[in-house]
Amino acid sequence: MIEDIPILSLIILLPFVGALASLMLGRREHLAKWVALAFSAAAFILSLLVTYEFVVDPYSASAGEIDGYSNGYQFYESHVWIESLGINYIVGLDGISLPLFVLTTLLCMLSVIFSWDTDRRPKEYFGLMLVLEVGILGVFVALDYFMFYIFWEIVLIPMYFLIGIWGGPRKDYAAIKFFIYTHIASLAMLLAIMAMYFEANIGTFGMEAIAGESIYFSRGMQLAIFAAMLFGFGVKLPMVPFHTWLPDAHVEAPTAGSVLLAGLLLKMGGYGLIRVAIPSLPSGAEDMVPVMAVIAVASILYGAILCLAQDDLKKMVAYSSISHMGFVLLGYSTLGELGVVAGVFQMFAHGLVTAVLFMMCGVVQHKCGTRLISLLGGLARKMPIAATLIAIGFLASLGLPGLVSFAAEFMVFAAVFFEWGLWIFLPMIAVAVTAAYYLWALQRSMFGPMTGKIDTWHLKDVDWYEGVPVAVLILLIALFGVFPSLVFSRIGPAVEIALRAFGGG
Amino acid sequence: MLNAFMPQLLLVLFALIMPALDYMVKDKRWLAFVALTPLLGYAFALASWTLGGYWQPPSVETGVPLIEVNLFSGAFALAFVAVGIIVALSSPEFIRNERNQGEYYSLILLAVTGMTVVALATDLIVLFVGLEIAGIASFALSGFSKKERRSAEAATKYFIVGGFSSAMTLFAISLFYGVSGTTEIAAMGPQMEAMFSSVDGIRSAATLATVMLIAGLGFKIAAVPFHMWAPDVYEGAPTPISGLLAAASKKMGVAAMFKIFLVGIVVTKTDWEVAIAVIAVVTMTVGNLIAISQSNIKRMLAYSSIAQAGYILIVLPIGTEYAVAGGLFHVLTHAFMKSGAFMVVAALTVRGIGESLDDFRGLGKRSPFLALAMMLFLLSLAGIPPLAGFASKFVLFSSAVDASIDPGPSWLVWLAVAGVLNSALSLYYYARVIKKMYMEKGPEERVTVPTMTGAAIVIALVMVIVLGIYFDAVLELCREAAGSLLQAIP
Repeated sequence: MIEDIPILSLIILLPFVGALASLMLGRREHLAKWVALAFSAAAFILSLLVTYEFVVDPYSASAGEIDGYSNGYQFYESHVWIESLGINYIVGLDGISLPLFVLTTLLCMLSVIFSWDTDRRPKEYFGLMLVLEVGILGVFVALDYFMFYIFWEIVLIPMYFLIGIWGGPRKDYAAIKFFIYTHIASLAMLLAIMAMYFEANIGTFGMEAIAGESIYFSRGMQLAIFAAMLFGFGVKLPMVPFHTWLPDAHVEAPTAGSVLLAGLLLKMGGYGLIRVAIPSLPSGAEDMVPVMAVIAVASILYGAILCLAQDDLKKMVAYSSISHMGFVLLGYSTLGELGVVAGVFQMFAHGLVTAVLFMMCGVVQHKCGTRLISLLGGLARKMPIAATLIAIGFLASLGLPGLVSFAAEFMVFAAVFFEWGLWIFLPMIAVAVTAAYYLWALQRSMFGPMTGKIDTWHLKDVDWYEGVPVAVLILLIALFGVFPSLVFSRIGPAVEIALRAFGGG
Repeated sequence: MLNAFMPQLLLVLFALIMPALDYMVKDKRWLAFVALTPLLGYAFALASWTLGGYWQPPSVETGVPLIEVNLFSGAFALAFVAVGIIVALSSPEFIRNERNQGEYYSLILLAVTGMTVVALATDLIVLFVGLEIAGIASFALSGFSKKERRSAEAATKYFIVGGFSSAMTLFAISLFYGVSGTTEIAAMGPQMEAMFSSVDGIRSAATLATVMLIAGLGFKIAAVPFHMWAPDVYEGAPTPISGLLAAASKKMGVAAMFKIFLVGIVVTKTDWEVAIAVIAVVTMTVGNLIAISQSNIKRMLAYSSIAQAGYILIVLPIGTEYAVAGGLFHVLTHAFMKSGAFMVVAALTVRGIGESLDDFRGLGKRSPFLALAMMLFLLSLAGIPPLAGFASKFVLFSSAVDASIDPGPSWLVWLAVAGVLNSALSLYYYARVIKKMYMEKGPEERVTVPTMTGAAIVIALVMVIVLGIYFDAVLELCREAAGSLLQAIP
């Protein structure tokens, strides 16, 4: 039954309708959160249905085909859109995009719940969050470059407003910096897309069709296009040295904005690399391996070391994202199946974990009025639940075995070890540094003597709308930490197809 | 011949009766509706021909080919007439306290007449006549607010610069006549080549003519370094007229340039392609950089339209059919987004709100419709999908990538790079207006939208959204129009 309806288009459309409904509420703006919850929950439930169908029936009638062979995509839809340029509306899901797709609907729903007490311009707030969801979902399902770019850019505008209206003290600067910085990166990607379109010269913007041609491009052309794409996607990732927009944007964004920014927007960069750049331009990717590996290790180490120096909890978490997303790029740079699968899984894992961390930073800010570690201390006595949740989040992020990040990072390390042997010690250093900054921060803010620098008398523990989303995420972190193969086994076959051009991976 | 000129004759006829009507009607809004009649009729005829293909215009059969009705002229005329409609529709509220409103509309009609004549012309002399008809009407229009000093200043400045540029253009035309022995655009190329091979040293005369032409038409489209007049004039002119100048009058210069450079003197392309490429890049960069520092919205939009002229100029060095289609497409989308943005400013002026950027503070609360419209126009100008400006910039810049890969020299790709970098730069000042409207606090009292100006804004807004999401038919028209321009090359 699910094959008969354009389920992916429906899921993308739902938040859009929700956004319009929310923006048109007029004076009944207190209803906005209910509208947002209803539509984001509906999208989430449908995406679960999609997952179920994907897992149970991988060779269903809705699978996409090229020349009679399955291309690994399911729920495939293809319609002509702009005929004269060969632009089509093509969507589909495979094992790489499915985890990120479900992560998107989940995090968007949880962010809506987490923002339950937003009373400043709620119509616009929830409406923009839903528009953001449309853009991110679209990026993860689009299989046509033109569509992909449109969804990619749609993401920027709601985020610009979320930071600019509901952000912290330096929101003006952070919002415009985010907007322009990532827009420039998008434009580099756009040039790369144009070059691929005209070099392939088959009159279509379809990703698979172009990939069929682009693997035969000359080495120099592949290198040039891949470099532009690496820049385009890398800024989003973010990779050192193009990461400077991230701390500003994350710190100033409202909590739900940070959750979506770190949990999902960064994944767009990592997703783009494996969906588009690496499979389509194999020899370009091979030539860029040293660059990718060096940038990845630099991001991992630099991000981790910067974390040590932070006094603001949220800024620390922001820098830790740079470090952890470096593992994604490091996994990719091995260009082997293990490493790439690990990279994709790390995106999924980081999405879950970092959402917990940003939400808990939001809780601390909310309850204590500050996030500065130097002003905090001993909070565990007054806020035991919050402290427990933060501790679990930190432990998950530093890679405690049994939680999801461990599985992902371990596999990245394994892949790096097989590829480059003992060079593994470089990224390994970061593991120690990561443990250090998290435990140190935990020690200073949650444990130890009660701080006298803030009013601790009226401290309350987490509210339900803050605790529930975090608890859900932590359950998932544990679930996928114990059974990573639940996700691995879906990513694997898709990565195998993606790496076909490398001759067996 | 007369058949082909019917629409222009109709426009002129209405232009002649408008002042008389002024004495007869009490409610001056009727003047706008009368002026709209021929424009709407022309627009309908053009759209049903170019987009729908429901009828074909009669072919022009005369001994001397002076004009030609083809899809290229049709597409440009469509842009001019559309802007004419938007401007006429939003004028009555803006000029309600002025005298001589009849003349105002007849000048608008004459300006549109001149522009369409340029679009139709296949002969340098006809082209020049068109430029002059439109030019003189625009000089008078920009000085229409006679009580305002800056309006008078704008008119004076525009008149002097316009006269100067006309002289340059005419000088270029006469030199070209000397070099080629013809004023027929399509015949210039072969004749010039014949002359080059037979007469020594004549090539330098052709080069001089080309330089004159770049300067003369450069003034018209406000390319750097011939752009100084534009911000002053756009600021001083009545706002709907600023919209007419930015969205249509400039595009008339573009139409003239496409015709002369891509058909007439394409044989000497190697001589001028680099010069024009440099002017294009400098124009977009300077326009955007100066726009950042403006605090008056009309001046900012003026510099932004200087930058847009730079984007369109890259068509000339690229010169492929796809590039011309991209340029045409951008002319069409720019007509709507730029005139739309000016009409929002006009609507605010009607409600007594100033033109400085700070006057936009809190507009999102005061008038959600005007703020939303302004935001979409600005984002479209910046090239953010899925709006019209993105679609046309996509085609325009991708044509540079296309040409650099296949037929042309590989340096053309840098035109695309310059274009996208400039788009990112322009986002900065557009986003600042959006920030003022939505993120800063301003006066609280609501602003009602003037009805007719609001209607004009709605037209532009619908086009900006539709052309962004579904542009297949229009792009197809632009491609065929480009084909019909380039097939004139012998």
